[in-house]
Amino acid sequence: MSFGEDTSEMCLFNVKDGFLEAVVRGYKLGLLTTSDYNNLCQCETLEDIKLYLTGTDYGPFLANEPSPMHTTTLVDCCTRKLVADWRYLRENAGEPMGRFLDYCTYGHMIDNVVLIVTGTLHERDVQELLEKCNPLGMFDAIASLAVAQNMRDLYRLVLVDTPLAPYFSDNLTSEDLDEMNIEVMRNTLYKAYLDDFASFVHRVGGTTGEIMSELLSFEADRRALNITLNSIGSELTRDDRRKLYANFGLLYPHGQAELAVAEDFDQIRSAMEKCPPYQAIFSRLGLGETQMLDKIMYEEEVRQLVNTFEQQFHYGVFYAYMRLREQEIRNVMWIAECVAQDQKARVQDGIVFTF
Amino acid sequence: MKARLAGATKGHSLLKKKADALNMRFRQILRKIVETKEEMGRVMKASFFSLAQAKYATGDFKHTVFDSIDQASLKVKASTDNVAGVRLPKFEAQREAGGAADSKIGLIGLGTGGKQIQECRKSFVTAVDLLVELASLQTAFLTLDEAIKTTNRRVNALEHVVKPRLENTIAYIKGELDELEREEFFRLKKVQGNKKKHTEAAEALEAAQRAKGGGAVGNGARENKAANVLAAEQDADIIF
Amino acid sequence: MSGGAELFALIVDQDTATGLLLTGVGQVDIRKRANFLIVDDKTSQQQVEEAFKDFTTREDIAVLLINQVIAGMIRHLLDAYTKPVPAILEIPSKDAPYDPSQDSVLQRVCFMFGES
Repeated sequence: MSFGEDTSEMCLFNVKDGFLEAVVRGYKLGLLTTSDYNNLCQCETLEDIKLYLTGTDYGPFLANEPSPMHTTTLVDCCTRKLVADWRYLRENAGEPMGRFLDYCTYGHMIDNVVLIVTGTLHERDVQELLEKCNPLGMFDAIASLAVAQNMRDLYRLVLVDTPLAPYFSDNLTSEDLDEMNIEVMRNTLYKAYLDDFASFVHRVGGTTGEIMSELLSFEADRRALNITLNSIGSELTRDDRRKLYANFGLLYPHGQAELAVAEDFDQIRSAMEKCPPYQAIFSRLGLGETQMLDKIMYEEEVRQLVNTFEQQFHYGVFYAYMRLREQEIRNVMWIAECVAQDQKARVQDGIVFTF
Repeated sequence: MKARLAGATKGHSLLKKKADALNMRFRQILRKIVETKEEMGRVMKASFFSLAQAKYATGDFKHTVFDSIDQASLKVKASTDNVAGVRLPKFEAQREAGGAADSKIGLIGLGTGGKQIQECRKSFVTAVDLLVELASLQTAFLTLDEAIKTTNRRVNALEHVVKPRLENTIAYIKGELDELEREEFFRLKKVQGNKKKHTEAAEALEAAQRAKGGGAVGNGARENKAANVLAAEQDADIIF
Repeated sequence: MSGGAELFALIVDQDTATGLLLTGVGQVDIRKRANFLIVDDKTSQQQVEEAFKDFTTREDIAVLLINQVIAGMIRHLLDAYTKPVPAILEIPSKDAPYDPSQDSVLQRVCFMFGES
């Protein structure tokens, strides 16, 4: 990257997106800190947690919740906060940032579409399904998804208008739509989405491209790892497995080829350890210890996300903010579950500290 | 009558034994129910915790679960167990492997956290096994409770109604028979006494006649008497 | 008892349902008749009662699992229920740990213990 390009980016970024970047950095300061978490861990009841969270950025969203509290309501409230922030960002975004923000939510959109589609196939109430959708992944035509009676109609009538259409048309034939296992479908779509997102950030280029491709590679690798790990012993064939890996990432293509044929955890491990960043991660795991992997991966992700804030003038911060908030919601949920179920000894196992 | 009483007594002792056997089993089950219920509390708690873990790793996956339900792969097999003639229903968890739902659930959370979901599933399977055990115990408890009640009712009925009634009847009949015997005895005694009196009177008369009319007439009268002892009174009538 | 009784039935909240259905106890037949009722804030007591009556009279159900909290809603039905099959089990839910003193059956058990 030449000096000139860099400078021009610096000069021009603030013209359009400077305000929102400032806003998102402001939001970031609202994230719970380690001391917040420590205090939360001391809570004895869900009411205590609520009380404590009322003092944070979640305050306005929690204040009017009636007692008794449930973990689910707590999580809902926290999600509302994220959604509100996100809407604000989206409404004020110009192009191409708007598109970037949209891309960030496509993941949820895929989940929602899959949810509605399976729900419809089981003749559930549409309204009920819509309530259960992740609000971040909502789009205008989502309600009409339920109109379709079979998958072909669904694609022809509805999905064409959504941003997800190319993912469907490029990767799934209509026979697939009828027969494919819903989880395989979800992951196929997700793979297409990741590929698309990666090429998008590449087009945007600059610092955004650099930072985002790093984050997305990590995401892609993590998915590849998870898919491999979770499909061991299931009826998913190696070829099918291979098809679900995204076409980029640090593991692409040799690591993935190894993962595709891996049959147990040790083989996965040896495949992953060939890649230096993951070697460090796996070295923190004891032999045969798979339980902690999720958490370590989350921690690694958080570390990378926090690092994005070190640089200025790029869109990565928005993505990072969303992911950090989500992680935070997971943390809050974990603490709440532990408190509600009287398992406080385990609280520390689930929290990934952000700052 | 006596045979019926013997039957009742025997039945009573048998039922009593049955009631004791049932009671013993009942106590065992009671203790086990209490234990298992507590155990269930613990296991369910652990299961819910693993559910929380799965949720933490995967996000909300419950709708995927709800929508992938098709045919049950985990069922209960009912059989019966015999305790002292009481049929106790017994449940056993039965797993049908390789069902369509199985593979569907097997792939949930493929992208993220599927491992945790499988852990959670395992944990719930243990919980279900325990629940099934508890279910058999509980049904056994209810059935036994009912059986014990009927048995006890029967025992009590035999002990307090049938047996006393039979005994009463027998006592009454015995009394009546005794009475009859006493009367008969008395009658016989009376008859014997009368006979004695008559014989004495006849002898006295004969002695007087003999004294009056010589040996020939006396001999004839004695022969007549020997021929018909029962007609002695009639003889006397004839004579007087 | 009938040989066809081999299913579970569930009247439970969402979390319990998720866990239990993961094990494969759920069944939806051709007529879309499910063997479980998922109770949330919107489920009325009447719905629960109907489901309870339905499940207890169905031929193919051997064990009915019900969350203790929900059992509390229809306690009168549970107390009146005496049939051995289907067996009714009160199970704890996530938010409410198991409380033996509320269990209809366990109450009877304790009563027996106290008596004997």
